[in-house]
Amino acid sequence: MDREDRFEADALPHMRSLFGTAYRMTGNRHDAEDLVQETYLRAYRGFDRFEPGTDIRAWLFTILYRTRTDAFRRKGRSPRTVELADEGGPAVPPPQDALSAEGDLSRALSRIPETFRAAVVLRDVEEFSYDEIARILGIPIGTVMSRIHRGRGLLRQALTGAGGAQ
Amino acid sequence: MTCVPERVSGFVDGALAASERVELEAHVAACGACAEQAEAEREIRRRLEALPSVELPPGLEARVRRRLRRRRFGALRWALPLAASLAFLVLWARGSPAVVARELAFDHVKCFRKGRVPAKVLTSDALRVRGWFSAQGTRMPLLPDAAARLEVVGARYCPLPDGSFVPHVYYVGDGGRRISLFVLDRRVRLADGYRTTFLGETVHMLRAGGLTVGLVGEHAADVDAFRRRFASTTALRLSELAPAPHGH
Repeated sequence: MDREDRFEADALPHMRSLFGTAYRMTGNRHDAEDLVQETYLRAYRGFDRFEPGTDIRAWLFTILYRTRTDAFRRKGRSPRTVELADEGGPAVPPPQDALSAEGDLSRALSRIPETFRAAVVLRDVEEFSYDEIARILGIPIGTVMSRIHRGRGLLRQALTGAGGAQ
Repeated sequence: MTCVPERVSGFVDGALAASERVELEAHVAACGACAEQAEAEREIRRRLEALPSVELPPGLEARVRRRLRRRRFGALRWALPLAASLAFLVLWARGSPAVVARELAFDHVKCFRKGRVPAKVLTSDALRVRGWFSAQGTRMPLLPDAAARLEVVGARYCPLPDGSFVPHVYYVGDGGRRISLFVLDRRVRLADGYRTTFLGETVHMLRAGGLTVGLVGEHAADVDAFRRRFASTTALRLSELAPAPHGH
């Protein structure tokens, strides 16, 4: 298996998870698609630097986050709070009450600043460890801890505001 | 201990070191506010973990694969014509008498500059030289033992810049006169031979029985005398080998 085949076999299975996070970061499917495509192109270019045997999923998320922050740097602005569009429905429609609760949660998540949202999504949706999140975001573990704490707090407030707190 | 809310998050996520965890566990058990925070964070985490994954847009994977392939073969888009041009250039150079003559002159000068010529076979017998090349599977024309008062001393394979190895036979005469005879088993674009001077050496190239022979020497007169002797040797042996004509 050559380098290209190895990249496709190892990296492409993580697309769904990358797209989910990209969507929660950007707030719309179009930007999320662009972010995922750019992430894969960058990952492909840097695949020689990836150490086989280490976690490729965490490596891909690191590139995703860098691609996102680089895009902001180019545009000269910082990550902002986004409202999730309604188009981002789940794959299988859940029951109506669950749908409403999930909708509230997703909208509440989209209303907190991206800095905190990224940490919370990586921990609670993608289930990365604090160590991995520190590497992905390029910040110390103590900062990861405080961002997750702040993020969850803001999320609770947002849920209360949306009337979705349970 | 005093309440540190960030550490409660780390405690909830099992991200604390063992000693810190024990300490926090005791604190959370005793502190109502921290216990409430821990429970609220667990609840948030549980709800986020239960969120269904976002549906992948149809065709995204295909688009990513297409862009990766384009990048993969994008390099080949210019590499292929470049390789083709280089191959053409190499082929052109291999058949160009001007290029080949310079290569031969350069090698002649390089080999004779050394105190002793780099030979694989050292002999004054031209038949032995020819036999040695035949044993390696290389076709050779008939060679004179001596010509223009120059005698064969040895031979070897000479590496040319295109990666080929061609027979190189050394002839030496009195007064430091030297001639190299190269045999190329390929077509060089010669009309009635080719002659040039390079690095102070006269190079004369001619065709002999489907082979290209290059003669290199410092003195043009030696090269000409050698060429005549070589031509007569080849002609003589070829006529000896040819079947006798049938009389009428």
